[in-house]
Amino acid sequence: MFEQLVDVICNYVEVEPENIHPESRFMEDLGFTSFDFMSMLGELEDAFDVEIDEQEVADIRTVQEAVDYLEKLQAEE
Amino acid sequence: MLYSTIRDILVSAEKQFGPEDAVRYKIKKNTIESKSYTQLKQDSESFSRALEALGERGSHVAVTGATSYPWLVTYLGTVGCGSVAVPLDVSLPAEELCELVDRADVTVLVLDEIRKDVAAIVKDRCPKLKHLVSMQKETSDEEMLSFWQLLKENEGAYEYEADPDSLCTIMFTSGTTGKSKGVMLTQRNLAENATCLDMKIPPRTVILSVLPIHHAYCLSMDILKGISLGSVICINDSLLRVAKNIKLFQPNMILMVPLMIETMAKKLEEVSGLPPKLVKWQVFGKQFHTICSGGAYLPPAMIDLFNRYGITILQGYGMTECSPVISTTVSWNIRRESVGQLVPNCEAKTVDEELWVRGSSVMMGYYKMPEETAQTLEDGWLKTGDLGYVDEDGFVYLTGRKKNLIITKNGENVSPEELENKIGEHRLVQEILVREKEGVIEAEIFPDYDYIKKKHVKDVRAALQEIIDEYNQGAPAYKKVYSLKVRDTEFEKNTSRKIKRY
Repeated sequence: MFEQLVDVICNYVEVEPENIHPESRFMEDLGFTSFDFMSMLGELEDAFDVEIDEQEVADIRTVQEAVDYLEKLQAEE
Repeated sequence: MLYSTIRDILVSAEKQFGPEDAVRYKIKKNTIESKSYTQLKQDSESFSRALEALGERGSHVAVTGATSYPWLVTYLGTVGCGSVAVPLDVSLPAEELCELVDRADVTVLVLDEIRKDVAAIVKDRCPKLKHLVSMQKETSDEEMLSFWQLLKENEGAYEYEADPDSLCTIMFTSGTTGKSKGVMLTQRNLAENATCLDMKIPPRTVILSVLPIHHAYCLSMDILKGISLGSVICINDSLLRVAKNIKLFQPNMILMVPLMIETMAKKLEEVSGLPPKLVKWQVFGKQFHTICSGGAYLPPAMIDLFNRYGITILQGYGMTECSPVISTTVSWNIRRESVGQLVPNCEAKTVDEELWVRGSSVMMGYYKMPEETAQTLEDGWLKTGDLGYVDEDGFVYLTGRKKNLIITKNGENVSPEELENKIGEHRLVQEILVREKEGVIEAEIFPDYDYIKKKHVKDVRAALQEIIDEYNQGAPAYKKVYSLKVRDTEFEKNTSRKIKRY
């Protein structure tokens, strides 16, 4: 899951994959804008076949938190 | 054609396009439902009748929620019977929303149930509020009325001739002193702003509405202009799904803010190895041709980039106080460095480098804020707070900003003082300055080093970050602070002991 997420992240920001860590913060460390982040989550909905709730993702800050959230959704499916 | 009331826009559109689709929206993943111009007018009139039945004709009616069919009906029904609509930002913290409901003297609140937290407290916080209406509830109960039941019970035509110069909408905008201001707009302000310029947009153009509807730009240009042209207005259900909804609704045109345009540019450039035309087809569809950009500055390089893919970007400039459009580019007359030509109902002049505008779209004033109104309006001229000038052909050029506001790339106006006051409340913060840096909001803090010593704080940066994190938790996305700078020395002050901002 983490590696797949890194691939998608690299489509949005100019960061080398090796510089993306679980504790990397989307906005502060990786340079995401809020709309980049939303668009990426929309892309992940298809990639992982889950349905994301816009309200629930407001507090996600790090790559690991996104991984945890997506894994939780997959487990619920 | 120029219309001077919102009611006239709707009535005329219904006459011309009655059975055609006015609004399309998703009800399931890939299932679209639509409402015709006739249905939109009928439902809006039913809502007007409902307000009359509740004894609230002429009252202030707040509406909060994401863009939806009930939102549009509430708005059109409210302004279509002489009441005043108060669109509120659905992402605001509950207490802040309640404060605005109270300050705007709202007696009816129509809300999306995603804000159950607001529904739970609003009656206690706002003693003037008499009716709470749910957009989702199927039947009314003691706590909340059902929007749908209200429409059903009050079905029927409603005749009303609106006075063009009557107040019809109060929209809140960030104030430079930290307190948001209610911009009072008349029927004429909004209707003439939406219809005074013939942009040669053909009828039945399919528009995907992606911006927050409580903003004047979306309300005026997506909705009111869209209706006046007989467009098909498609509702984007979430910012997560803009790309998917483009494929589903196949729009010709989208209004965007620079932040979105930059992300969409990445999507275009992500597709490699195909000719530009095919890239456009893949990302936006064959039918797509225009993006209107507003809300914030768009780098001209973006216009060139999209042009390579056969997409025209029209840039506009405006502010809520001017309903909102002041100038816009049109496809046949683009000057790259300009933010467009003045719209026909607007004239402008430069006073001490500041751009002042006058015309039928300039607001009545700020609701119950006579001092702020007097500071902003002078002999019918609106002081924009922007530095700039207009050339002999009416093209507007902006050179800087006089007002102390952060205009984020998504078009939101953020008052630095508001954030400084909130974060500065903490004992650890002695001085703070909030500004925009590289597209995000940055807080620069001079901590109270005596307090740090006294409390034996070891990691000052971490302690300050904790304060920022705590603030961010309750803040809407566009007011979050994503960069922290810690100072060792006090800020430089001006003669009145205020921190020098620039």
